Amino acid sequence: MTDSADDYEHLTPLLSELAGLAEDDPRRPELREELVTGFLPVAKHIARRFAQRGEPQDDLVQVATVGLISAIDRFDPERGSDFLSFAVPTIMGEVRRHFRDTSWSVRVPRRLKELHLAITAATNELSQRAGRAPTPSELAAHLGISRDEVFEGLEASNAYRSSSLDDMLVNTDSTLSLGDTLGEEDAELAGVENREALQPLLRQLPERERAIIVLRFFGNLTQTQIAERVGISQMHVSRLLSRTLAELRAGLLSP
Amino acid sequence: MSGTGPDVTTSHPRIEVTVSENQSSPEIEVRIAARPDHLSVLRAVAADLAMRADFDLDAISDLKMAVDEACATLISRANSPEDQLVCGFAVEADQIHFTAHAPTSSPAAPSRESFGWRVLSSLTDSANTWVAPGDDGVPVLRVDLVKKRLGSVGQ
Repeated sequence: MTDSADDYEHLTPLLSELAGLAEDDPRRPELREELVTGFLPVAKHIARRFAQRGEPQDDLVQVATVGLISAIDRFDPERGSDFLSFAVPTIMGEVRRHFRDTSWSVRVPRRLKELHLAITAATNELSQRAGRAPTPSELAAHLGISRDEVFEGLEASNAYRSSSLDDMLVNTDSTLSLGDTLGEEDAELAGVENREALQPLLRQLPERERAIIVLRFFGNLTQTQIAERVGISQMHVSRLLSRTLAELRAGLLSP
Repeated sequence: MSGTGPDVTTSHPRIEVTVSENQSSPEIEVRIAARPDHLSVLRAVAADLAMRADFDLDAISDLKMAVDEACATLISRANSPEDQLVCGFAVEADQIHFTAHAPTSSPAAPSRESFGWRVLSSLTDSANTWVAPGDDGVPVLRVDLVKKRLGSVGQ
């Protein structure tokens, strides 16, 4: 690290102050923002270390910043350790997870990657216009390509694992807190016979995955409607749903 | 899966695909050992058929997940991995009709109150399951699903 810990000395009292504030204290957002801005060079520094691995630098800085925010929120000064030794591994973990989650699982030619991106962008645009997912014919007409090319692009999409890149194409300023979409699951689950086994499995899921499962199977929303609410692409919702269902199934089957 | 002529049959040590196409409704039958690692083949067939039938992207994904869920249930309730899972896909004018069956070790069909059933019925327009004795008297679990071109949700 070229950054010296002394550069951030002045932020230490702010960290203690933030940790001491109640969840709903009105000064929280301002303090948090000041801390994020103050520690931003740390996130940028880590993002730079992961450059040249084929992901856009802006994405990496964004992901590292998400890691920084989560470190600021979770840091407990009472534990005695200093913030940087807690934050650096947290931020690195976030960036590593990004690399794990967003990459082509097999080598895909550039033409197909571009086709995949074009189809994702067109899907987002057409869904917003029509309020439902487009068909391959509609995508072909919109993009001015053949249906066979759309099929090729959709098949290539199967080789892509969960993608922040897709989601960057979603034009949304969704400020929805996922917590808002939950909360009714207990009532919904009342009708499900194996809920004693299901509930702990649902609780273990990341908040976004749980929200998607509840909205699809208990709220009866389409994937496109969920995509709009959660602020990610339909294809990403589709991938997350399939993966989460398989996990839940494995969990329900294991004794 | 690109066979378009009548009664094209390809075989593989464990996977057998039969495509028989009449004028309006192509029917595809896949016979496969009841093993979890074969689910990906069935998902791929389901997605490919729905895509080529010009279903919208939500419906394609729904059908793929429903077939996955139904077959996972059939496989988990089969007597052994050597049992044969038989899946039929009929592409009709405004819907895809999926049927599947495999011998089962449990005499009762999956409960309609289970999470798995909730998933199946949310993903399809019609879902049915029952157990009936097969030719040799062994109980056979059957699942029958219909996915319509335009989902009934949010239209």
